[in-house]
Amino acid sequence: MLLCSPEGFPLPLALAAAPRPARLDGLRIGLLDNTKAPVDKMMDYLADRLRDRIPGVTIFRIAKKHPSMQAEREVIEAVAQNADVVINALGD
Amino acid sequence: MTQARVLGLPSLPRVVLPHPIGGTTMDTIAPKLDAAFEDILAGLTTPLPITAAGSAAVLRAERIDVPAGDDAWDDAQREFMRRGWGDGLPMVPPTPARVQAMLRFVDHAPDHVVAALAPRMGAATVEAIAVNAVMAGCRPVHLPLLIAAVHAMAERRFNLYGIQATTHCVSPLLIINGPLARVMNINGSTGMFGPGPWDNGVVGRAIRLLLLNVGGAVPVEIDKSTMGHPAKYTFVMAENEDASPWPSLRAERGYSDEVTTVTVVGAEGPHNINDHESITADGLLKMIAGSMAQPGQNNVYYAAEPLLILSPEHSATIAGGGYDKDSLKRKLFEDARVPLSMFSRENIERRMHRKFPELYKNAPDDVGVRLAHRPEDFMVVVAGGPGKHSMYVPTFGGTLSVTESIAHSDGRPYLGSDFGE
Repeated sequence: MLLCSPEGFPLPLALAAAPRPARLDGLRIGLLDNTKAPVDKMMDYLADRLRDRIPGVTIFRIAKKHPSMQAEREVIEAVAQNADVVINALGD
Repeated sequence: MTQARVLGLPSLPRVVLPHPIGGTTMDTIAPKLDAAFEDILAGLTTPLPITAAGSAAVLRAERIDVPAGDDAWDDAQREFMRRGWGDGLPMVPPTPARVQAMLRFVDHAPDHVVAALAPRMGAATVEAIAVNAVMAGCRPVHLPLLIAAVHAMAERRFNLYGIQATTHCVSPLLIINGPLARVMNINGSTGMFGPGPWDNGVVGRAIRLLLLNVGGAVPVEIDKSTMGHPAKYTFVMAENEDASPWPSLRAERGYSDEVTTVTVVGAEGPHNINDHESITADGLLKMIAGSMAQPGQNNVYYAAEPLLILSPEHSATIAGGGYDKDSLKRKLFEDARVPLSMFSRENIERRMHRKFPELYKNAPDDVGVRLAHRPEDFMVVVAGGPGKHSMYVPTFGGTLSVTESIAHSDGRPYLGSDFGE
Protein backbone atom coordinates (compact mmCIF):
# COMPACT_ATOMS: atom_id res chain seq x y z
CA MET A 1 0.00 0.00 0.00
CA LEU A 2 1.47 3.31 -1.09
CA LEU A 3 0.75 6.36 1.11
CA CYS A 4 1.67 10.03 0.77
CA SER A 5 3.51 11.60 3.70
CA PRO A 6 1.64 14.46 5.39
CA GLU A 7 4.88 16.06 6.59
CA GLY A 8 5.83 19.16 4.68
CA PHE A 9 9.59 19.37 4.21
CA PRO A 10 11.16 21.94 6.55
CA LEU A 11 12.19 24.86 4.38
CA PRO A 12 15.96 25.29 4.55
CA LEU A 13 17.07 28.44 6.30
CA ALA A 14 20.78 29.06 6.32
CA LEU A 15 21.98 30.81 9.47
CA ALA A 16 25.40 30.55 11.04
CA ALA A 17 26.09 30.69 14.76
CA ALA A 18 28.64 33.16 16.06
CA PRO A 19 31.85 31.47 17.24
CA ARG A 20 31.93 30.68 20.93
CA PRO A 21 34.56 32.40 23.10
CA ALA A 22 36.89 30.11 25.03
CA ARG A 23 36.67 32.36 28.11
CA LEU A 24 34.16 34.91 29.33
CA ASP A 25 36.62 37.25 31.05
CA GLY A 26 36.01 40.87 30.10
CA LEU A 27 33.16 40.04 27.74
CA ARG A 28 29.68 41.52 27.49
CA ILE A 29 26.97 39.03 28.43
CA GLY A 30 23.47 39.76 27.16
CA LEU A 31 20.50 38.69 29.28
CA LEU A 32 17.38 38.56 27.11
CA ASP A 33 14.13 37.76 28.91
CA ASN A 34 10.56 37.09 27.81
CA THR A 35 9.00 39.49 30.36
CA LYS A 36 7.10 36.84 32.27
CA ALA A 37 7.36 37.06 36.03
CA PRO A 38 9.63 36.14 37.75
CA VAL A 39 12.21 36.13 34.95
CA ASP A 40 13.32 39.65 35.87
CA LYS A 41 14.29 38.52 39.35
CA MET A 42 15.97 35.43 37.91
CA MET A 43 18.03 37.67 35.67
CA ASP A 44 18.95 39.96 38.59
CA TYR A 45 20.24 36.94 40.45
CA LEU A 46 22.05 35.53 37.43
CA ALA A 47 23.67 38.90 36.70
CA ASP A 48 25.02 39.08 40.25
CA ARG A 49 26.43 35.57 40.03
CA LEU A 50 28.08 36.28 36.66
CA ARG A 51 29.68 39.48 37.97
CA ASP A 52 30.98 37.66 41.04
CA ARG A 53 32.40 34.82 38.99
CA ILE A 54 33.82 36.36 35.82
CA PRO A 55 36.51 39.09 35.95
CA GLY A 56 35.68 42.26 34.03
CA VAL A 57 32.33 41.06 32.74
CA THR A 58 29.60 43.56 31.86
CA ILE A 59 25.91 42.72 31.69
CA PHE A 60 23.49 43.96 29.02
CA ARG A 61 19.82 43.54 29.95
CA ILE A 62 16.97 43.59 27.44
CA ALA A 63 13.48 42.08 27.13
CA LYS A 64 11.18 41.10 24.30
CA LYS A 65 8.01 43.19 24.09
CA HIS A 66 5.68 40.20 24.24
CA PRO A 67 6.40 36.84 25.85
CA SER A 68 4.84 34.66 23.16
CA MET A 69 6.08 36.49 20.09
CA GLN A 70 9.44 36.28 18.43
CA ALA A 71 11.93 38.95 19.48
CA GLU A 72 11.50 42.17 17.53
CA ARG A 73 14.18 43.10 15.01
CA GLU A 74 15.32 46.10 17.09
CA VAL A 75 15.75 43.83 20.11
CA ILE A 76 17.85 41.37 18.11
CA GLU A 77 19.96 44.20 16.68
CA ALA A 78 20.48 45.68 20.14
CA VAL A 79 21.65 42.31 21.45
CA ALA A 80 24.01 41.89 18.50
CA GLN A 81 25.53 45.33 19.11
CA ASN A 82 25.83 45.14 22.87
CA ALA A 83 26.62 41.54 23.75
CA ASP A 84 29.29 38.98 22.90
CA VAL A 85 27.26 36.06 24.20
CA VAL A 86 23.58 35.87 25.13
CA ILE A 87 21.50 34.02 27.68
CA ASN A 88 17.85 33.93 26.66
CA ALA A 89 15.65 33.03 29.60
CA LEU A 90 11.99 32.08 29.43
CA GLY A 91 9.93 32.55 32.55
CA ASP A 92 6.57 30.77 32.65
CA MET B 1 14.40 24.13 20.05
CA THR B 2 12.54 23.02 16.95
CA GLN B 3 13.33 26.35 15.34
CA ALA B 4 16.97 26.04 16.38
CA ARG B 5 17.06 22.67 14.67
CA VAL B 6 15.44 24.05 11.53
CA LEU B 7 17.88 26.95 11.51
CA GLY B 8 20.85 24.59 11.51
CA LEU B 9 21.62 24.73 15.24
CA PRO B 10 20.25 21.47 16.62
CA SER B 11 22.78 21.52 19.44
CA LEU B 12 22.05 25.06 20.65
CA PRO B 13 22.72 24.63 24.35
CA ARG B 14 19.88 24.94 26.79
CA VAL B 15 19.49 24.56 30.50
CA VAL B 16 16.10 23.61 31.89
CA LEU B 17 15.10 24.66 35.38
CA PRO B 18 12.41 22.37 36.74
CA HIS B 19 8.89 23.77 37.03
CA PRO B 20 7.31 25.52 38.78
CA ILE B 21 8.90 28.89 37.96
CA GLY B 22 5.90 31.18 37.44
CA GLY B 23 4.15 31.99 40.68
CA THR B 24 7.21 31.20 42.78
CA THR B 25 9.81 33.35 44.47
CA MET B 26 13.58 33.49 44.41
CA ASP B 27 13.66 31.41 47.59
CA THR B 28 12.92 28.38 45.41
CA ILE B 29 14.36 29.59 42.10
CA ALA B 30 17.83 30.58 43.33
CA PRO B 31 18.82 27.01 44.28
CA LYS B 32 17.72 25.85 40.82
CA LEU B 33 19.84 28.55 39.20
CA ASP B 34 22.80 27.68 41.43
CA ALA B 35 22.54 24.04 40.42
CA ALA B 36 22.47 24.99 36.73
CA PHE B 37 25.10 27.74 36.87
CA GLU B 38 28.07 25.70 35.65
CA ASP B 39 25.99 24.32 32.78
CA ILE B 40 25.02 27.87 31.81
CA LEU B 41 28.68 28.93 31.70
CA ALA B 42 29.61 25.83 29.72
CA GLY B 43 26.82 26.54 27.25
CA LEU B 44 28.34 29.96 26.53
CA THR B 45 31.87 28.71 25.90
CA THR B 46 31.58 25.23 24.39
CA PRO B 47 32.00 25.26 20.60
CA LEU B 48 28.87 24.26 18.70
CA PRO B 49 28.95 21.53 16.10
CA ILE B 50 27.24 23.28 13.20
CA THR B 51 24.84 21.16 11.23
CA ALA B 52 23.82 22.91 8.08
CA ALA B 53 20.16 22.89 7.22
CA GLY B 54 19.27 21.04 4.04
CA SER B 55 20.46 22.80 0.93
CA ALA B 56 17.37 22.17 -1.16
CA ALA B 57 13.72 21.81 -0.31
CA VAL B 58 11.84 18.68 -1.27
CA LEU B 59 8.44 19.97 -2.17
CA ARG B 60 6.61 16.83 -3.30
CA ALA B 61 5.11 14.51 -0.71
CA GLU B 62 7.24 11.48 0.02
CA ARG B 63 5.65 8.18 -1.02
CA ILE B 64 5.79 5.53 1.68
CA ASP B 65 5.32 1.86 0.97
CA VAL B 66 3.46 0.26 3.87
CA PRO B 67 3.53 -3.54 3.80
CA ALA B 68 -0.08 -4.66 3.56
CA GLY B 69 -1.34 -7.50 5.70
CA ASP B 70 -4.85 -8.84 6.01
CA ASP B 71 -6.38 -5.47 6.81
CA ALA B 72 -4.97 -2.47 4.95
CA TRP B 73 -6.94 -0.01 7.12
CA ASP B 74 -5.44 -1.36 10.34
CA ASP B 75 -1.98 -1.48 8.77
CA ALA B 76 -2.24 2.18 7.83
CA GLN B 77 -3.41 3.19 11.33
CA ARG B 78 -0.48 1.35 12.92
CA GLU B 79 1.92 3.09 10.55
CA PHE B 80 0.46 6.51 11.42
CA MET B 81 0.94 5.86 15.13
CA ARG B 82 4.46 4.50 14.62
CA ARG B 83 5.47 7.64 12.76
CA GLY B 84 3.81 9.95 15.29
CA TRP B 85 1.41 11.41 12.74
CA GLY B 86 -1.98 12.79 13.56
CA ASP B 87 -4.24 13.58 16.49
CA GLY B 88 -4.70 10.09 17.97
CA LEU B 89 -7.94 9.36 16.11
CA PRO B 90 -8.14 7.05 13.09
CA MET B 91 -7.31 8.76 9.79
CA VAL B 92 -8.17 8.08 6.17
CA PRO B 93 -5.10 6.54 4.43
CA PRO B 94 -3.74 9.19 2.02
CA THR B 95 -3.23 7.07 -1.05
CA PRO B 96 -1.89 8.86 -4.15
CA ALA B 97 -5.28 8.41 -5.82
CA ARG B 98 -7.14 10.05 -2.92
CA VAL B 99 -4.64 12.92 -2.81
CA GLN B 100 -4.92 13.44 -6.55
CA ALA B 101 -8.71 13.53 -6.24
CA MET B 102 -8.45 16.10 -3.45
CA LEU B 103 -6.69 18.48 -5.87
CA ARG B 104 -9.65 18.48 -8.25
CA PHE B 105 -10.84 22.05 -7.74
CA VAL B 106 -7.54 23.89 -7.30
CA ASP B 107 -5.39 25.37 -10.04
CA HIS B 108 -2.23 25.82 -7.96
CA ALA B 109 0.72 23.58 -8.75
CA PRO B 110 0.94 20.76 -6.18
CA ASP B 111 4.42 21.92 -5.13
CA HIS B 112 3.33 25.53 -4.66
CA VAL B 113 4.33 26.57 -1.14
CA VAL B 114 1.33 28.28 0.45
CA ALA B 115 3.23 29.01 3.67
CA ALA B 116 5.88 27.73 6.03
CA LEU B 117 4.19 26.68 9.26
CA ALA B 118 5.94 27.53 12.53
CA PRO B 119 7.74 26.39 14.53
CA ARG B 120 9.07 23.59 12.32
CA MET B 121 8.77 25.86 9.27
CA GLY B 122 7.40 22.93 7.34
CA ALA B 123 6.43 23.70 3.76
CA ALA B 124 2.64 23.68 3.54
CA THR B 125 2.53 22.94 -0.18
CA VAL B 126 -0.80 22.55 -1.89
CA GLU B 127 -0.11 18.82 -2.01
CA ALA B 128 0.80 18.61 1.70
CA ILE B 129 -2.44 20.41 2.53
CA ALA B 130 -4.29 17.94 0.32
CA VAL B 131 -2.65 14.94 2.04
CA ASN B 132 -3.71 16.17 5.47
CA ALA B 133 -7.17 17.00 4.16
CA VAL B 134 -7.57 13.42 2.97
CA MET B 135 -6.43 12.07 6.33
CA ALA B 136 -8.94 14.32 8.15
CA GLY B 137 -11.85 13.11 6.00
CA CYS B 138 -12.30 16.28 3.94
CA ARG B 139 -13.76 16.49 0.43
CA PRO B 140 -12.15 18.25 -2.58
CA VAL B 141 -14.52 21.20 -2.17
CA HIS B 142 -12.76 22.02 1.11
CA LEU B 143 -9.24 22.37 -0.25
CA PRO B 144 -9.49 26.01 -1.41
CA LEU B 145 -10.76 26.91 2.06
CA LEU B 146 -7.87 25.09 3.72
CA ILE B 147 -5.34 26.82 1.46
CA ALA B 148 -6.72 30.24 2.43
CA ALA B 149 -6.73 29.33 6.12
CA VAL B 150 -3.13 28.11 6.02
CA HIS B 151 -2.04 31.31 4.31
CA ALA B 152 -3.88 33.36 6.92
CA MET B 153 -2.35 31.46 9.85
CA ALA B 154 1.14 32.19 8.56
CA GLU B 155 0.62 35.96 8.71
CA ARG B 156 3.01 37.34 11.29
CA ARG B 157 0.30 39.11 13.29
CA PHE B 158 -1.49 35.80 13.87
CA ASN B 159 1.60 34.64 15.81
CA LEU B 160 1.39 30.96 14.94
CA TYR B 161 4.84 30.60 16.47
CA GLY B 162 3.42 31.40 19.90
CA ILE B 163 0.11 29.66 19.38
CA GLN B 164 1.80 26.37 18.54
CA ALA B 165 4.04 26.20 21.58
CA THR B 166 2.36 28.03 24.47
CA THR B 167 1.18 26.52 27.75
CA HIS B 168 -2.18 28.25 27.06
CA CYS B 169 -4.98 26.18 25.48
CA VAL B 170 -5.32 28.31 22.33
CA SER B 171 -6.37 26.83 19.00
CA PRO B 172 -7.16 28.44 15.65
CA LEU B 173 -10.90 29.03 15.26
CA LEU B 174 -12.03 29.30 11.63
CA ILE B 175 -15.00 31.56 10.88
CA ILE B 176 -16.41 31.10 7.39
CA ASN B 177 -18.40 33.92 5.82
CA GLY B 178 -20.17 33.91 2.50
CA PRO B 179 -22.05 31.84 -0.04
CA LEU B 180 -19.59 28.93 -0.17
CA ALA B 181 -20.27 28.02 3.47
CA ARG B 182 -23.38 26.21 2.22
CA VAL B 183 -21.52 24.61 -0.70
CA MET B 184 -18.84 23.37 1.69
CA ASN B 185 -21.49 22.22 4.19
CA ILE B 186 -20.11 24.43 6.95
CA ASN B 187 -22.81 24.92 9.57
CA GLY B 188 -23.44 28.31 11.16
CA SER B 189 -26.76 27.45 12.75
CA THR B 190 -28.08 24.99 15.35
CA GLY B 191 -25.30 22.83 16.78
CA MET B 192 -22.58 24.26 14.57
CA PHE B 193 -19.73 23.32 16.92
CA GLY B 194 -20.97 19.77 16.71
CA PRO B 195 -21.60 17.00 16.67
CA GLY B 196 -23.60 16.61 13.50
CA PRO B 197 -23.59 15.59 9.86
CA TRP B 198 -21.86 18.69 8.55
CA ASP B 199 -18.27 19.37 7.57
CA ASN B 200 -17.11 21.79 10.29
CA GLY B 201 -15.50 18.83 12.04
CA VAL B 202 -13.36 17.52 9.20
CA VAL B 203 -12.22 20.97 8.06
CA GLY B 204 -11.06 21.88 11.55
CA ARG B 205 -9.41 18.52 11.91
CA ALA B 206 -7.45 19.09 8.70
CA ILE B 207 -6.16 22.36 10.17
CA ARG B 208 -5.04 20.53 13.31
CA LEU B 209 -3.33 17.78 11.30
CA LEU B 210 -1.46 20.44 9.33
CA LEU B 211 -0.35 22.15 12.54
CA LEU B 212 0.86 18.80 13.86
CA ASN B 213 2.34 17.15 10.78
CA VAL B 214 3.68 20.21 8.94
CA GLY B 215 4.02 22.80 11.71
CA GLY B 216 5.52 20.29 14.10
CA ALA B 217 3.35 21.13 17.13
CA VAL B 218 3.81 17.72 18.65
CA PRO B 219 2.20 17.71 22.10
CA VAL B 220 4.57 17.52 25.08
CA GLU B 221 7.66 18.09 22.92
CA ILE B 222 6.60 21.36 21.25
CA ASP B 223 2.95 22.04 22.10
CA LYS B 224 3.27 22.73 25.81
CA SER B 225 -0.42 23.38 26.46
CA THR B 226 -0.87 22.59 30.14
CA MET B 227 -4.22 20.85 29.60
CA GLY B 228 -4.76 20.84 25.86
CA HIS B 229 -8.35 21.52 24.83
CA PRO B 230 -11.16 19.80 22.89
CA ALA B 231 -11.13 22.73 20.44
CA LYS B 232 -7.64 21.66 19.43
CA TYR B 233 -9.21 18.69 17.62
CA THR B 234 -11.44 20.90 15.49
CA PHE B 235 -12.90 24.41 15.78
CA VAL B 236 -14.86 25.73 12.82
CA MET B 237 -18.05 27.77 12.39
CA ALA B 238 -19.85 29.82 9.78
CA GLU B 239 -21.45 33.14 10.56
CA ASN B 240 -25.24 32.92 10.27
CA GLU B 241 -25.42 36.00 8.07
CA ASP B 242 -29.08 35.53 7.15
CA ALA B 243 -30.03 35.76 10.82
CA SER B 244 -27.85 38.77 11.64
CA PRO B 245 -29.26 42.28 11.97
CA TRP B 246 -25.82 43.75 11.25
CA PRO B 247 -23.11 43.72 8.58
CA SER B 248 -21.19 40.44 8.62
CA LEU B 249 -17.58 40.00 9.67
CA ARG B 250 -16.50 39.83 6.02
CA ALA B 251 -18.42 43.04 5.23
CA GLU B 252 -16.74 44.78 8.17
CA ARG B 253 -13.41 43.76 6.66
CA GLY B 254 -14.21 45.10 3.23
CA TYR B 255 -15.22 42.02 1.23
CA SER B 256 -18.13 42.07 -1.20
CA ASP B 257 -21.15 39.80 -1.23
CA GLU B 258 -19.88 37.25 -3.76
CA VAL B 259 -16.62 36.64 -1.88
CA THR B 260 -16.36 33.87 0.69
CA THR B 261 -13.83 34.45 3.42
CA VAL B 262 -12.16 32.55 6.20
CA THR B 263 -11.07 34.33 9.36
CA VAL B 264 -8.59 32.65 11.67
CA VAL B 265 -8.77 33.56 15.35
CA GLY B 266 -6.31 32.41 18.01
CA ALA B 267 -9.06 31.38 20.39
CA GLU B 268 -9.76 29.75 23.69
CA GLY B 269 -12.71 27.42 23.92
CA PRO B 270 -16.12 29.11 24.04
CA HIS B 271 -17.98 29.88 27.25
CA ASN B 272 -21.78 29.80 27.19
CA ILE B 273 -23.87 32.84 28.14
CA ASN B 274 -27.38 31.82 29.17
CA ASP B 275 -29.97 34.59 29.36
CA HIS B 276 -33.61 33.61 28.95
CA GLU B 277 -35.05 36.47 30.96
CA SER B 278 -33.71 39.78 29.67
CA ILE B 279 -36.09 41.33 27.17
CA THR B 280 -34.26 44.63 26.76
CA ALA B 281 -30.95 45.25 25.03
CA ASP B 282 -29.38 46.85 28.08
CA GLY B 283 -30.59 44.06 30.35
CA LEU B 284 -29.14 41.43 28.06
CA LEU B 285 -25.89 43.33 27.62
CA LYS B 286 -25.49 43.56 31.38
CA MET B 287 -25.56 39.76 31.50
CA ILE B 288 -23.26 39.40 28.51
CA ALA B 289 -20.70 41.94 29.72
CA GLY B 290 -20.76 40.39 33.16
CA SER B 291 -20.18 36.93 31.73
CA MET B 292 -17.22 38.17 29.69
CA ALA B 293 -15.54 39.90 32.63
CA GLN B 294 -13.43 37.06 34.04
CA PRO B 295 -10.04 37.71 35.64
CA GLY B 296 -8.20 34.55 34.51
CA GLN B 297 -8.30 35.14 30.75
CA ASN B 298 -5.37 36.26 28.60
CA ASN B 299 -7.34 39.20 27.27
CA VAL B 300 -6.85 41.17 30.48
CA TYR B 301 -3.09 41.01 30.02
CA TYR B 302 -2.43 41.39 26.29
CA ALA B 303 -3.71 43.46 23.38
CA ALA B 304 -6.46 41.23 22.12
CA GLU B 305 -9.62 40.80 20.11
CA PRO B 306 -12.23 39.19 22.38
CA LEU B 307 -14.90 37.41 20.34
CA LEU B 308 -18.62 37.48 21.12
CA ILE B 309 -20.79 34.98 19.24
CA LEU B 310 -24.37 36.18 19.59
CA SER B 311 -27.30 33.89 18.92
CA PRO B 312 -29.84 35.24 16.43
CA GLU B 313 -32.41 35.79 19.20
CA HIS B 314 -29.97 37.66 21.43
CA SER B 315 -28.72 39.76 18.49
CA ALA B 316 -32.31 40.69 17.60
CA THR B 317 -32.94 41.89 21.16
CA ILE B 318 -29.76 43.99 21.12
CA ALA B 319 -30.44 45.43 17.67
CA GLY B 320 -34.02 46.13 18.76
CA GLY B 321 -32.58 48.39 21.45
CA GLY B 322 -30.96 50.54 18.79
CA TYR B 323 -27.46 49.10 18.81
CA ASP B 324 -25.44 48.75 15.66
CA LYS B 325 -22.13 46.91 15.71
CA ASP B 326 -20.05 49.99 16.50
CA SER B 327 -22.19 51.08 19.43
CA LEU B 328 -22.34 47.49 20.67
CA LYS B 329 -18.55 47.27 20.65
CA ARG B 330 -18.28 50.56 22.53
CA LYS B 331 -20.75 49.22 25.10
CA LEU B 332 -18.71 46.04 25.54
CA PHE B 333 -15.50 48.05 25.81
CA GLU B 334 -16.95 50.13 28.63
CA ASP B 335 -18.97 47.49 30.48
CA ALA B 336 -17.08 44.21 30.05
CA ARG B 337 -14.42 45.04 32.60
CA VAL B 338 -13.06 43.01 35.44
CA PRO B 339 -12.94 44.82 38.80
CA LEU B 340 -9.33 45.01 39.92
CA SER B 341 -10.52 43.67 43.26
CA MET B 342 -11.14 40.29 41.59
CA PHE B 343 -7.38 39.89 41.05
CA SER B 344 -5.09 38.60 43.76
CA ARG B 345 -2.72 41.05 45.35
CA GLU B 346 0.17 39.13 43.77
CA ASN B 347 -1.32 39.50 40.29
CA ILE B 348 -1.97 43.18 40.83
CA GLU B 349 1.57 43.85 41.97
CA ARG B 350 3.51 41.42 39.80
CA ARG B 351 1.59 41.75 36.57
CA MET B 352 -0.96 44.59 36.38
CA HIS B 353 1.29 47.23 37.95
CA ARG B 354 4.25 46.05 35.89
CA LYS B 355 2.55 45.78 32.50
CA PHE B 356 0.11 48.67 32.76
CA PRO B 357 1.44 51.12 35.36
CA GLU B 358 -0.34 54.05 33.73
CA LEU B 359 -3.73 52.33 34.14
CA TYR B 360 -3.56 50.44 37.40
CA LYS B 361 -0.54 51.55 39.47
CA ASN B 362 -2.47 54.08 41.55
CA ALA B 363 -5.97 52.87 40.73
CA PRO B 364 -8.68 52.08 43.29
CA ASP B 365 -9.67 48.43 43.74
CA ASP B 366 -12.96 48.90 41.92
CA VAL B 367 -11.39 50.17 38.68
CA GLY B 368 -12.37 48.01 35.71
CA VAL B 369 -9.68 46.08 33.86
CA ARG B 370 -10.34 46.22 30.13
CA LEU B 371 -10.49 43.22 27.80
CA ALA B 372 -9.21 45.11 24.76
CA HIS B 373 -7.25 48.25 24.11
CA ARG B 374 -9.87 49.79 21.78
CA PRO B 375 -13.64 49.32 21.25
CA GLU B 376 -13.09 48.26 17.64
CA ASP B 377 -10.91 45.37 18.79
CA PHE B 378 -13.99 43.48 19.98
CA MET B 379 -15.20 40.98 17.40
CA VAL B 380 -18.95 40.31 17.16
CA VAL B 381 -20.54 37.68 14.93
CA VAL B 382 -24.03 36.17 14.83
CA ALA B 383 -24.32 32.40 14.68
CA GLY B 384 -26.17 29.40 16.04
CA GLY B 385 -29.85 28.53 15.89
CA PRO B 386 -32.94 29.28 17.96
CA GLY B 387 -32.39 29.67 21.68
CA LYS B 388 -31.26 32.11 24.32
CA HIS B 389 -27.60 31.11 24.43
CA SER B 390 -24.67 33.14 23.17
CA MET B 391 -20.97 32.43 23.58
CA TYR B 392 -17.92 34.35 24.68
CA VAL B 393 -14.61 33.27 23.18
CA PRO B 394 -11.56 34.73 24.91
CA THR B 395 -8.43 34.74 22.77
CA PHE B 396 -4.77 33.98 23.28
CA GLY B 397 -3.95 37.67 23.50
CA GLY B 398 -0.69 37.74 21.59
CA THR B 399 -2.49 37.23 18.31
CA LEU B 400 -4.61 39.19 15.87
CA SER B 401 -7.22 37.58 13.63
CA VAL B 402 -6.60 37.39 9.89
CA THR B 403 -9.25 37.27 7.14
CA GLU B 404 -8.56 35.92 3.67
CA SER B 405 -10.76 35.38 0.65
CA ILE B 406 -11.11 31.87 -0.75
CA ALA B 407 -9.53 32.44 -4.13
CA HIS B 408 -7.94 30.84 -7.16
CA SER B 409 -4.20 31.09 -7.77
CA ASP B 410 -4.78 34.32 -9.75
CA GLY B 411 -6.78 35.90 -6.93
CA ARG B 412 -10.28 35.45 -8.42
CA PRO B 413 -12.73 34.47 -5.71
CA TYR B 414 -14.19 31.00 -5.86
CA LEU B 415 -17.87 30.95 -6.76
CA GLY B 416 -20.42 28.19 -6.44
CA SER B 417 -20.10 27.53 -10.18
CA ASP B 418 -16.47 26.51 -9.65
CA PHE B 419 -17.77 23.49 -7.77
CA GLY B 420 -20.54 22.65 -10.26
CA GLU B 421 -23.21 24.41 -8.21
